[in-house]
Amino acid sequence: MKDKDLYNIPSEACTKINEWLLKFPDGEKKPAIIYALHLIQKENKYIKSKHVDALANLLNLKKIDVYEVASFYSMFELEKVGKHTISVCTNVSCMLKGSDEILAYLERKLKIKVGTSSDEYFLKDERECLAACCGAPMMQVDHRYYENLTKQKVDKIIRDIENEK
Amino acid sequence: MKNNIRINELCFSTLSSNNPNSLETYLSQGGYSTWKKIVNDFTDKQEIIDLVVKSGLRGRGGAGFSTGKKWSFINLESDEIKYLVCNADESEPGTCKDRDILRYNPHAVIEGMLIASYAIGANVSYCYLRGEFMGEVYKNFKQALNEAYSNNFVGNNILGSEINIELHDLIGAGAYIVGEETAMLESIEGKKGFPRYKPPFPAIKGLFNSPTIINNVETLASIPKIISNGPIWFNSIGTKDSPGFKCFSVSGHVNKPGNYEVPLGTPFKDLLELAGGVKNNKKIKAVIPGGSSVPVLPGNIIMNINMDYESIANAGSLLGSGAVIIMDENTNMVKVLHRIARFYYSESCGQCTPCREGTGWMYKIIDKLLSGKGSLKDIETLESLPNMIAGSTICAFGDAAAMPVESFIKYYKNEFLNYIKNED
Repeated sequence: MKDKDLYNIPSEACTKINEWLLKFPDGEKKPAIIYALHLIQKENKYIKSKHVDALANLLNLKKIDVYEVASFYSMFELEKVGKHTISVCTNVSCMLKGSDEILAYLERKLKIKVGTSSDEYFLKDERECLAACCGAPMMQVDHRYYENLTKQKVDKIIRDIENEK
Repeated sequence: MKNNIRINELCFSTLSSNNPNSLETYLSQGGYSTWKKIVNDFTDKQEIIDLVVKSGLRGRGGAGFSTGKKWSFINLESDEIKYLVCNADESEPGTCKDRDILRYNPHAVIEGMLIASYAIGANVSYCYLRGEFMGEVYKNFKQALNEAYSNNFVGNNILGSEINIELHDLIGAGAYIVGEETAMLESIEGKKGFPRYKPPFPAIKGLFNSPTIINNVETLASIPKIISNGPIWFNSIGTKDSPGFKCFSVSGHVNKPGNYEVPLGTPFKDLLELAGGVKNNKKIKAVIPGGSSVPVLPGNIIMNINMDYESIANAGSLLGSGAVIIMDENTNMVKVLHRIARFYYSESCGQCTPCREGTGWMYKIIDKLLSGKGSLKDIETLESLPNMIAGSTICAFGDAAAMPVESFIKYYKNEFLNYIKNED
């Protein structure tokens, strides 16, 4: 994470962050970190050190306060990732219904190994339970759930993403 | 097929409508009438808590602790700020009921949160949704919350009264441990999800150092009807120690996986039948009855027991979150445990050494066995680990990581032994 250039959190995001803070007691700034990091990640695809610095500055917090949150939660990406994040659940319920095959199929189809990215796709490391066990096997593409997956369904999901371009 | 099982009458009641998550549907089923009555009558707080105690409702998140008793830990006389938190960080492997309650009956969660907030004297309450719910689940909940605000069920001077309750949605960012109630408080405060030492319990010192009650989605969604229909109604369903309905997420090798809300005490056989029976007419080998943190039970044991807290405990496992994972006769139990162990290894928050190190040891040993490089000594080490972790950590995660390992080896040791090539 070496970015010398400074980052300014867009004013629209600053407004949203300030509105979010209204949910908490006066003077509490930390409760906005998770929300703000989601906003920053949405805008930039992943979180760089300059983003952490900018957020710490905005909330008047120590950089470590923001960094330790950014590095603790699994949804935050601290390295460059592709445009679309694909998370295939491989926990027990999904595993029993063939999630390993779905994951292997995606690896072949997208020509990337799990845990790595192309420009277009990030096949996130085997995910833990995403609370859609009765629709196993399942995956999430960005924030959308896709359940009862088959290879044909996976083909269609990827085709739809390609067509959206 | 058992046609006489009562199904989806409480948290999933709106599923009978084509538009389950709408305010109209909820109102047409009597929704918010409990809340309106409380606001109108200015019902005594203690009276509500007593009703919930009498109903026998037990926390649906996994621990099964009496909800009314939990509420009664709040000192109603104190004028401290108090908080209510709805735990919507559903992450226990196999569990997907809260996601469906939030998607299809969000108003019941909101009404339950309002009643609970009122009963414990909280003017602010938060619903903490796991980060991965940011799409449809969050959208549905947020829409319902906006409707509740615009109808003045929430906010200031609720329905013309002097009652003020703010209700806020919060979103996490991926961490199983945040489902642990004190870790959730840390996360709301904008920190890493490290569980806190107890005591002090959250009811004494919780969110922002104030008395706080944390309840699960299903627990809170059950509240409105328990209050309006009364504890006698709730007690008439289920068993003596496990009254009421419970949502079971039935997944794995069944024909019709799904969430089924049935009376507690329903025979497992009937639940399995509701879920369409074992896929491809295979025999049932094993069942995890309450999420991956509870001991596995062999098929022949669970086929003869009922789905209530005491029956499952007597059989050596726990009802947990109600996540019922079915495994057929061809299931490789070593591989299943390997996956479970990986989960606890990767989700341990790292705060306590026995858990942080022990989960890694367990995973690595099972991994070694699977690769054919294990020895008898490895199995002995694996058997000794759960005891070293359980009970020696700040939160229950350590026990949760230990229980599956202990039970899988207890019932399926031969499968583990089969992976040993050179007996030394």
